[in-house]
Amino acid sequence: MGGHNRSHFAGGGQEFLDHRQFHQGDDLRAVNWRAYMRLDKMFLKMFQIEPRVPVRLLLDTSVSMSAGASGPENKFEYAVRLAASFCYVGLVHLDTFEVLPFAGELHEGKTCGGGRQRFSPLSKFLETVKPAGTTNFLKVARQFLNEYPQRGLVIVISDFLDESGCEKALQYIADYGNELMLIQLWSPEDREPQDSGEFDFIDAETAARLRIHVDSDARRKYTEAFDNFSASIKTVAFRNNGRYAGLPTNVPVDEAIFGTLMKSQVIA
Amino acid sequence: MEFLNLTLGQFLFVFGSLSALSVALYLLDRTRRRRVVSTLRFWVRQGQPAAVSRRRRIQQPLSLFLQLLGMLLLLLAIAEFQFGGALNKRRDHVLVLDTSAWMGASLPNNSRNTLMDLARANAIGWLRAVPSSDRVLLVRADGLATPATAWESDHRKVARAILESQPGATALNLSQNLEFARGLQSQSGATLGEIVYDGPGRISAREANNMQMPALPAFRVLPVDDAVENSGIRSVGTRRSQTDANTWDVLVRVRNYGVRSHVVNVTLNFGNAPQGNHQLELAPGAEKETSFTVRTQAAGLLEARLYPKDAFAADNHAALELPSQRSLHVTVYSNQPEALRPALASDPRVNAEFKSPQAYSPDNDGLVILDRFRPETRPQGASLWIDPPSDSSPVPIKQRVDKPEGLQWVPDLPLTQGLRARNMQLEAASVFEPATTDTQIAEVAKGPVMIARGNMLVLGFNPFAGAMRYELAAPLLVGNILRWAAPDVFRDVDVSTQSAGAVSSPLAVGFDRKTVQVLNDAGQVLPFNIRDRAVQFFAGDSSRVRVLAGNSERVYSLTLPEMWDVKWNPPASARHGIPAWNDSIRRSRSLWPWLAVLGAALLLAEWILYGSYTTSRIHIVKAPERFAA
Repeated sequence: MGGHNRSHFAGGGQEFLDHRQFHQGDDLRAVNWRAYMRLDKMFLKMFQIEPRVPVRLLLDTSVSMSAGASGPENKFEYAVRLAASFCYVGLVHLDTFEVLPFAGELHEGKTCGGGRQRFSPLSKFLETVKPAGTTNFLKVARQFLNEYPQRGLVIVISDFLDESGCEKALQYIADYGNELMLIQLWSPEDREPQDSGEFDFIDAETAARLRIHVDSDARRKYTEAFDNFSASIKTVAFRNNGRYAGLPTNVPVDEAIFGTLMKSQVIA
Repeated sequence: MEFLNLTLGQFLFVFGSLSALSVALYLLDRTRRRRVVSTLRFWVRQGQPAAVSRRRRIQQPLSLFLQLLGMLLLLLAIAEFQFGGALNKRRDHVLVLDTSAWMGASLPNNSRNTLMDLARANAIGWLRAVPSSDRVLLVRADGLATPATAWESDHRKVARAILESQPGATALNLSQNLEFARGLQSQSGATLGEIVYDGPGRISAREANNMQMPALPAFRVLPVDDAVENSGIRSVGTRRSQTDANTWDVLVRVRNYGVRSHVVNVTLNFGNAPQGNHQLELAPGAEKETSFTVRTQAAGLLEARLYPKDAFAADNHAALELPSQRSLHVTVYSNQPEALRPALASDPRVNAEFKSPQAYSPDNDGLVILDRFRPETRPQGASLWIDPPSDSSPVPIKQRVDKPEGLQWVPDLPLTQGLRARNMQLEAASVFEPATTDTQIAEVAKGPVMIARGNMLVLGFNPFAGAMRYELAAPLLVGNILRWAAPDVFRDVDVSTQSAGAVSSPLAVGFDRKTVQVLNDAGQVLPFNIRDRAVQFFAGDSSRVRVLAGNSERVYSLTLPEMWDVKWNPPASARHGIPAWNDSIRRSRSLWPWLAVLGAALLLAEWILYGSYTTSRIHIVKAPERFAA
């Protein structure tokens, strides 16, 4: 808990956040009586609740994260480094982070806080995380909400590739008052296949096989489908006043943090 | 264009099999690339890219082409592919190295080196010019062709055999050696290379007159300059004098082989005692004879020497062993020795001793003649019984016949050689009853009158009685009996020294082919041929050979080297000298290392471009330093 991470939720805090119309049952102590006398309408003053909200980072460790490119462009490695970067920035801001790996279910996480000198245990924890399992967002969401009922900032670093879909699970988390920060990772080959010809594609998670002939038209349509999928993730985030960033893994992590993520105000 | 290790059929079979296997594997593996992806949802969801169940299409033709080309190049390297066809084929050469006796002559300007050294140097030079892949067979050529090596790719072995070659004792038989080399080359089965003759080309007149050069498509001559002045002994012949049995007539033949006249001295020694010295002036190419007389009964070594010494010392000295004068001891037991004395005294080789029958002793050496006398104990050696008493004859007597008729000598026997029945008139004779093992020599109408039984000869009549003692048959019969008793003593012996090699020994008129024998020192029979009333045989080295024919014996002491008579001129089509170095370098060029490297490079490139190799696998991942800090 704590740090400088500003909350977007209204509540009983000290700092003014916004006005809204008075509804029956609201606390009369929060009515802006000056505005009522001038405008003859009752407005309710909203205050920012406790500014330091819990930050929980859901790190996708499913097998699909390790499929495709290897090395620095591997999604899993990229996600780990990105998670480590977030944690480091959070520790510098004296935030408290809880890193929660997940795939088919929520795994045991690691809580860290108290300054940059606490980064080492978290780094060692992230080194132990290995990709395994099949993604099941819905199950993970239920488990998460059960274990962490207190609303907070939920950062999800994932490729969001779930055969049963992830939108419903994300919406589920948001409906419980959590603020969503969705960071979608993809390798360049995930979005834009380069090769043409006869392929025997094997799904990294389900081992399902698909023998197809790929040409330029098929690749173009594939990219369109992928962009539509990304757009749906983005829609879920924005619809719930959350934040979204899509990161190809061929962009270096530091460039992504200080470029894409800061410009899109995913991080401030 | 050719393959050294594979035939064209084998090459095509292997390459076809590999190509078919490669294409099959390619169609099975390369046509459909397997790839693990994060999800299939975007392929499936669109539904636009149609799933292909099975398509046999070559998606990476360049990859397949590189593979096939790489394998082709590697296979060509294994097969040792070469351009140039027959020019680059491995060839079989025959090196005919002259090792005749003349090769031992010293060089005119360097007495320490011989013609053989020059020939060896030529041979080594030629061997170095031969491509390393070619095979070489060395033939040492003198009177016979002797292969010194097998077909050798290892030229060091051939060089070793060249250096070990030494001059022989015979003259060069060039046509036979070249024919032998051609036969070896044609049987080798490989591409024919050169037949190389290395030597001065000095041959005998006999070969020059009958020379038939074989057809040699690639004949090379490595000439050896042999401008050497030489005079030498051609032969030394000895024969017992016809007038004095204790004297030897010696004939020495000398020849000048050079191109300048020479005055030479011929000396003769017997048992280290000088026997004579004759000076001869020899014109170029001339041959002269000189005779000596040596009086001796003893055996000993007869040596002929030629002075002054010249470049070829081997023919300046000849030696032969003279045999001792042998004799036959004849003991005659007779009461009338006067009748026998003239017949036995006519031959100096007979040492006759006359005794009375009362002095008989059974211990006698040589021949014992019992004249009408029968001892109590028979002699142990050869014996001649003349008209033994009828009651005590060693062969039973059937009857006694006076003036027998129908006397006949059994023909084709050594004892009856030269005898004719018309020359014989007997006064009386005893007719014997011979045993089955007895040999009948003479017979009359009533039966045999002369019988040979073992080493005993029995006459039923007295050849020195009556009118027969004046007939020619009497001494002939005695002579035959003496030769029968001791053939070695009465054999006519000629001793001569001449060169080794092919020897022709003349035979007397009326010789008997069955009696001809050619023996070496060890008593072994040498193969010979009889042609034009002469025995022809071959002796490859210095030795002593005896030629026996009837009652004559010739002893050849083959201590002289066989010399040449004329110089052979090579045909105009023959190549001369050592081939150029460039030629050998060009022909020894080999492509297989380059083919192997290129093939391996192509396969490596194919693996890098199309195989499982990717550069990302060797990419070094570094932690972002900014965050690690």
